[in-house]
Amino acid sequence: MEKAKVVYKKPKTRIHVFDVVNYIVFILIALIIMLPLWKVLVDSFNAVGVYQFKLWPSQPTLDGYKTILTTAKLYRPFMNSLITTAIGTLLGLVMSTLGGYVLCQMELPGRELLVYFLLFTMIFSGGMIPEYLVMRQLHLTNNMWILVVKHGMNVYNLVLMRNFFEGIPASLFEAAKIDGCSPMGIFFKIVLPLSKAALASIGLMFAVTVWNDYSTVQIYISNRDQVNFQYILRVMVMDGDTPTTAYNVSQSTLYYAAIVMAILPFMLLYPFLQKYFVQGVNIGAVKE
Amino acid sequence: MSKKKNFTSSNVEIRKKPLGMRIWNHRGFYLMFLPVLIYVLIVYYWPMLGIRYSFYDYTLKKMEFVGLKHFVSLFKDKDFWISFKNTLELSIIKLLLTTAASVIVSVFINEMANLFAKKTLQTIIYLPHFMSWTVTAAIFTLFLSTSSTGMVNETLKSWGLIQKSIDFLHETNLWRPVFYIVNLWKETGWGTVIFLATLSGINPELYEAADIDGASRMQKIWYVTVPALLNTIIVVLILNLAKVLNMFESVFVMYNSRVYDVADVISTYVYRKTFLTAIPNYGYTTAIGLFKSLVGGALVLLCNFASKKVRGRGIL
Repeated sequence: MEKAKVVYKKPKTRIHVFDVVNYIVFILIALIIMLPLWKVLVDSFNAVGVYQFKLWPSQPTLDGYKTILTTAKLYRPFMNSLITTAIGTLLGLVMSTLGGYVLCQMELPGRELLVYFLLFTMIFSGGMIPEYLVMRQLHLTNNMWILVVKHGMNVYNLVLMRNFFEGIPASLFEAAKIDGCSPMGIFFKIVLPLSKAALASIGLMFAVTVWNDYSTVQIYISNRDQVNFQYILRVMVMDGDTPTTAYNVSQSTLYYAAIVMAILPFMLLYPFLQKYFVQGVNIGAVKE
Repeated sequence: MSKKKNFTSSNVEIRKKPLGMRIWNHRGFYLMFLPVLIYVLIVYYWPMLGIRYSFYDYTLKKMEFVGLKHFVSLFKDKDFWISFKNTLELSIIKLLLTTAASVIVSVFINEMANLFAKKTLQTIIYLPHFMSWTVTAAIFTLFLSTSSTGMVNETLKSWGLIQKSIDFLHETNLWRPVFYIVNLWKETGWGTVIFLATLSGINPELYEAADIDGASRMQKIWYVTVPALLNTIIVVLILNLAKVLNMFESVFVMYNSRVYDVADVISTYVYRKTFLTAIPNYGYTTAIGLFKSLVGGALVLLCNFASKKVRGRGIL
């Protein structure tokens, strides 16, 4: 009796200590992630640059944001980012749904061939320089649409889309076919309406990729009218190349405001769409 | 059941039709695939033809066949081999560090009983993954700067820990640690997604059985949770091993000419040999790219094979 009592009690106290330590560690981890972001946010509203971590701006100002929204060299890249992201996402979704839908037609003659045609691009690629030379031939260098062209097609996302489509019961397709629905009709009337979750997830993956892309701009574009916001941010913060009209605001305020602007669209969406942000990874696992 | 039978019998009927007829019946699908086909041909396959430049001297002025000259000089190019070594070291150490951190974090998140705390924490730690490398690098450049607003240096100075500011991103021996820390900050949280998914699938009876055997909390973690993750850990490592050579943007936004020795990776080397050289020889940099594509492709196939062995399906 006595022995059993001791054995039962011991784990209980341990659980208590374990949980306390666990929560403390995780509060620390959360702080490690959030504090840098909080400092960025606070300093973007602070008229003077300070090194200390402050909870609130000591001299509140909106000048950083005003400068970005009124300086053509800064707001134009922001607009370029918005436009390319919107169009790139749309194109990406069109391509991956079309391709994914065709590839899940099991009776399609030559289906295997099409699969290998796509998969080969994941094994071998021409490399940075031949790609650059091709795009130069297509007059897509120095042109912001390169961002759309580069990201409008993603084999990995197409395969994810196909895996999701394969989860739709085949009987639905059969029924529609018997009712005289064309492949296009099935695609628009059955497949797409049933795939809203996948469209949201994969759409977000495209949007994040296009919005965040910096290296494509660095490689292909030198004309400052055509660059995106990530490029301008990099040029400002790392190369110290601030547009000449922006001298009425402290450098650090402007830099931090630019960082906030560069994360803003997704930070606004993220709390509401977190499910879709995360789901993309798991769509591939739906198969089987 | 009867439905399924019908389905297969109609299938058989279709198979019996001649190929031309079957293709004609599917014409709608081919039409739908056409945009994808054209797109992939232009964006992926056309550049593949460009690998022939690796056998040419290709500058702005001339295009001259030189055979294997570029590959011979490639094997003698010391800077290239430094970048090759850096690529492997940086991406493999980064992969091991972030995977280890993700595993530890997900094991302990799994121990949290409070669902609200768990969800909030997940929301927070996934966040940095969606920020671009440019943003991440900008934040850390500002924090680590040697100016009077550089948080890290000024704080260390005010605590009396250092006398002079340290230029973290320009010091050869500090650049890599900083790079790994930034990677951990950005990607650890996102790495937990796949491990948490695996953990949620563990049969609770295993824990109950361990309870009955009188296992402590740590023992349960060590003997139940961690073994359950082993397979997933191997899969994650395999999947990421396939793309170790792809490292570009994360290095590109953080490095500078002073740390080329420890930071230059293959893609950044190709970039600066082409775009930061007065008279670039596209032939030579194409040859480097071809070498990288071939090694990378072999890695993908190898990892695909390993993945089939481990989990029964490939990565392709």
